[in-house]
Amino acid sequence: MLKIKNLHAEIEGKKILKGINLDVKPGEIHAIMGPNGSGKSTLASVLTGRNLFTVTKGEVEFLGQNLLEMEPEELARKGLFLSFQYPVEIPGVSMTNFMKTAVNQIRKYQGKKVLSSADFLKFLRERKSLIELDTSLTNRSVNEGFSGGEKKEK
Amino acid sequence: MNDKAKQNKIIRDVTENEYKYGFTTKVDQDTIPKGLNEDVVRTISEKKQEPEWMLDFRLKAYRKWKTMKMPDWAHLNIPEIDYQEIVYYAGYKKKETPSSLDDVDPEIRDTFNKLGIPLEEQKQLTGIAVDAVMDSSSVKTTFQEKLAEQGIIFCAFSEAVLKHPDLVKKYMGSVVPTGDNFFAALNSAVFSDGSFCYIPKGVRTPMELSTYFRINAANTGQFERTLIVAEEGSYVSYLEGCTAPQRDENQLHAAIVEIIAKDDAEVKYSTVQNWYPGNKDGKGGIYNFVTKRGLCQGDNSKISWAQVETGSAITWKYPSTILKGDNSVSEFYSVAVTNNHQQADTGTKMIHLGKNTRSTIITKGISAGYSNNSYRGLVKVVKNAQNARNFSQCDSLLLGDKCGAHTFPYIHSDNDTAVLEHEATTSKISEDQIYYCKQRGISEEDAIGLIVNGYAKEVINKLPLEFAVEAQKLLQITLEGSVG
Repeated sequence: MLKIKNLHAEIEGKKILKGINLDVKPGEIHAIMGPNGSGKSTLASVLTGRNLFTVTKGEVEFLGQNLLEMEPEELARKGLFLSFQYPVEIPGVSMTNFMKTAVNQIRKYQGKKVLSSADFLKFLRERKSLIELDTSLTNRSVNEGFSGGEKKEK
Repeated sequence: MNDKAKQNKIIRDVTENEYKYGFTTKVDQDTIPKGLNEDVVRTISEKKQEPEWMLDFRLKAYRKWKTMKMPDWAHLNIPEIDYQEIVYYAGYKKKETPSSLDDVDPEIRDTFNKLGIPLEEQKQLTGIAVDAVMDSSSVKTTFQEKLAEQGIIFCAFSEAVLKHPDLVKKYMGSVVPTGDNFFAALNSAVFSDGSFCYIPKGVRTPMELSTYFRINAANTGQFERTLIVAEEGSYVSYLEGCTAPQRDENQLHAAIVEIIAKDDAEVKYSTVQNWYPGNKDGKGGIYNFVTKRGLCQGDNSKISWAQVETGSAITWKYPSTILKGDNSVSEFYSVAVTNNHQQADTGTKMIHLGKNTRSTIITKGISAGYSNNSYRGLVKVVKNAQNARNFSQCDSLLLGDKCGAHTFPYIHSDNDTAVLEHEATTSKISEDQIYYCKQRGISEEDAIGLIVNGYAKEVINKLPLEFAVEAQKLLQITLEGSVG
C-alpha cells in the first residue's frame, strides 16, 4: 500500500532523512518513534506532499503510484493525510463550512454526488452523535478557541 | 514539482477569463460628440427635456468645475485624463420612459438577462425592485406600481425631475453640494440618469430597492445620481450593482449618491462594485470616482453602508455620513479587493454633529498581485457633539509580496466626552493555512476562497442574502491563483 525506499530529504541544504525504508500493508498500524529532531515530522511532511522539503534520493509508492509527484490534496482525497501536531486557525471560517468543503471535494473525486448544505448537516448530525462531539464546536471558526485536543479531533 | 510554473498558469487562466461581464451590446445609440463645454451641458439637459431650474443647476456646477482641479491627495497613480476626449451622453433610441417591457429594445433586455437581472417582474427570484440603467438612460424600473400603492416613489432620476420636481429641487445637492469636489461638480454638470427613491412617513419598503448600472458605449463616461429620501420613521434597504465591457481604453465613472434620513428613519445602502478592472497588465478598466454621502438629519436616524469593491482599475470612494440628529447612528462595512494592477483608495468619513451619536467602521482590505489598496478615513467630532462614540477597525490582508496595503486613519475631536477607538491589523495568508486545507482534500483555489471569505465574513454578513452569495463568489474569482 505504502512503500518507502531509501528516502533522502533535506531542507535548505540540511540533510534530515538519510535513507528511510518502510513497507506498510493494508490493515497495519505503525508507530514511528524517535528522539526530538530525528525526522519524524519531516517524514510525515514529505509523505503528505508539503513542498518545504527537497527529496534528493529514493522513492515512495502509494497505491501503486509515485507519491512524490502528487499534491497534498490528491493524497488527501486518496486517503493519506496528516493529523496536525499544532493545527492552524482560520478565522471566520466555520467548522461546518470547512468540513463541508473538504467532504465535498473528496466526494467529487470519488465520483459521488456532492452534498447540499441540508444533506451535509444531516450527515454531520449523525456523525457527531457517533463520536459524541458537542454542537457548539462545529459552529466555531476553524480551530479558533479550541483546546489542543479539540483541534486535533477534526 | 514545478510549483511556480503551475501557479503562473493558474493566474493566466484566471485573469484571462475571470471577468464574465465583458461583452458589449450592439444597439442603436443616440450619442453626442465628445468633449465638454456649456453647449454640451445644454444639449444633455435638452435631451432630457428638463425644466429651466435643472439646466441652471447644471450650468452652475459646470462653471464651478472649470475652476477646480482634480484631487491628488489620494494614494493613487492616476494617468492624466483628457476631459475633452470623453463622450458625455450615450442614450438609447426609445420611447421616453418605456411603460411596458415591450417598449424595451430586445437587445437591451437580453443584456440584462445575461447579467442575471431579468426585467420581467415575474421572473425575479425574490422581491427586489430594479431600476436598470445603461450608459446615460434608465431602461426600466420594475414593481413601480406595487410600490406606489404605499406611496413609495422609485423611478429613474430623469423621470423624477419631470414628475416630482418639488422633491428633487428640495433635496438634490443638499447633502453633496455641486462644488463639493472636482468629481461631484463634474457629475452635477453632466449627470444623465440614476435612481430616485422617496419613502413616505412610517413606511417600510416591502422589498429591496436596487439599481443596476451598466456601461456599454465606448469612450463614454457614466455619470449617474442617486437620491434617497427617507421620511420620519421609514425604512428602506437599497442595493446597487454594476458591470462594464472589457476594453483596452479606460472609462470614467463619476457618480453621486445622496441619502437623507429624517427622525427615526433607517436607510441601508449596499453596493457590490464589479466594474471591469482592466487586464492582468493593468490595461483598460474603469476609473471609479464616486461621492456618496448620507445625512442623518433627524433624531434617532440610522444610515448603514455595506460595500464589496472588487472591480475598477482605480477606485476613489468614501461613502460618508453626517450624524446631525441626536442619537443618530451610522455604520460602514467594507471589503475592498485589488488584484493585478488595480488601485483603490477607499474608506469613510463619520462627522459627528449631534449629541449621543454613534458610528462603527469595519473595513477589510485585500491586496494581491501588483495592486495597491488604501484605507482612508476620518472620524470628526465637533465641539457640541456630546458623548459621541466611534469604533473603527481596519484590517489588511496581503497575498503575495508585490502588493501594498496602506491605512490613513484621521481622527479629529473637539469634544472631551467623545470615546473613539481604533484598531488595525495587517496579515498574510500563511502557507500553513493553505497546506492545512489541502491536507483535508481542498484544492488551493478553494482554500484561498475559503480563507478570504472567512476574513471578510463580518462585512459579508451585513449584505442582503442575494448580494452576500454573489459577493462570496466574486471574492473567490477575483483572487483565484493570486498566492505566489
